[in-house]
Amino acid sequence: MQRFEFKAMGTNVELLLDVPTSRWSGSAFASVRAEFARLEAILSRFRPDSELSELNRAGRLDGASPDLLRITELALEARARTGGRFDPTVHNALVAAGYDRTFDEVGADGVVVATRPPARCLGFVSVEPEASEIVLGPGVKLDFGGIGKGYAADRACELLEPFGPCLVSAGGDLAARGGLWPVGVETHLGTITLELTSGAMATSGSDRRRWSTSTGEAHHLIDPRTGVPAETDLLRVTAVGRTAAHAEVLAKSLCLAGAERAVLEADELGIPAVLTLADGTSVLAGGLA
Amino acid sequence: MPSASGKAARMTSHVGRLYSLAGALLAFFLLWAVIAAHPWATASASDPRLAALAQRERQLRANAALVQKVVDHRSAAYRVALTRRQSAIAAAKARASAASAASISQASSPSVRVVTLPPLVITKTS
Repeated sequence: MQRFEFKAMGTNVELLLDVPTSRWSGSAFASVRAEFARLEAILSRFRPDSELSELNRAGRLDGASPDLLRITELALEARARTGGRFDPTVHNALVAAGYDRTFDEVGADGVVVATRPPARCLGFVSVEPEASEIVLGPGVKLDFGGIGKGYAADRACELLEPFGPCLVSAGGDLAARGGLWPVGVETHLGTITLELTSGAMATSGSDRRRWSTSTGEAHHLIDPRTGVPAETDLLRVTAVGRTAAHAEVLAKSLCLAGAERAVLEADELGIPAVLTLADGTSVLAGGLA
Repeated sequence: MPSASGKAARMTSHVGRLYSLAGALLAFFLLWAVIAAHPWATASASDPRLAALAQRERQLRANAALVQKVVDHRSAAYRVALTRRQSAIAAAKARASAASAASISQASSPSVRVVTLPPLVITKTS
């Protein structure tokens, strides 16, 4: 088993490759690292020279890259599928909540971040893949924080797959191809291990990426329906999906649904999920037992 | 009327001879210079070598223009081919990237179960 770690997209990335050491694995890890760097250069909202920043500034982008087009499409499909619980147009709401710079800067101990009035979400976005064109409504800006990491994890898995069974973890978003991968999910009662054979897993919640503001504590999980950090009885949700980007959407959507509804949805739709409630209890749903 | 002896004395004078010799030499060199300058040759008279050179120059200029025309034509054709090739490469790259991006959303269904093994990695809130 080979393990390689690096930092990208504001989080720690872990690559696991279940093969003996070879000279190829080094180049495989290097190519994955380069792929993360490439995608970060496209998708980061904190880099003024990124493609996403250019789109957010201009409100329109002709000749958008296939990755930006695809991830925007995925995000819009997810918005439609989740009834707006997942939304890529939460950028202004995140900024209004104080998350207006990288989390390393926002989350520095003792820093109180000024907040602004809540911003509207669920804004207009149009994607024309044939014309490589993305158009945003007036004032609308996109953020691909979570789904971007999931997308990158999926791409990384694609790159590693030819070398053998692999797993890529980008923060909470992980994707696996081949092999058996015991993945730990933290709960108040200890760690539950889920064995992932293929597919992906993501965790979303309000327990991390929190910061102090002049009006109290805030977190990054924005409810697009209100435009402010979500108030939910779920602390975090781990969901299993086909891809890491898909799992990220499921986890966020279930988290915003609230415990009761999330369990119902996970069971009905067959979404394997571990739900950790704010009161300390944990629930397995969607066929997990 | 001068006497015959006086005339003979003048004709045998050394100074007179020297002047005569210098005058003759001067006249000789002047004549040489005039003959060497070819004053009888007119400016319009055509030297066959110059004419050949001029013709050769015109021929070379014509050839150079022809070569430049061929080069321009080939260069234009090359630029068109290069543009087409670059477009084809860009399109192929875009197709490959789009296909790769599309395949992400078409991955197989996930397979997962709860086990009692120690975890290799931990998933946390992203």
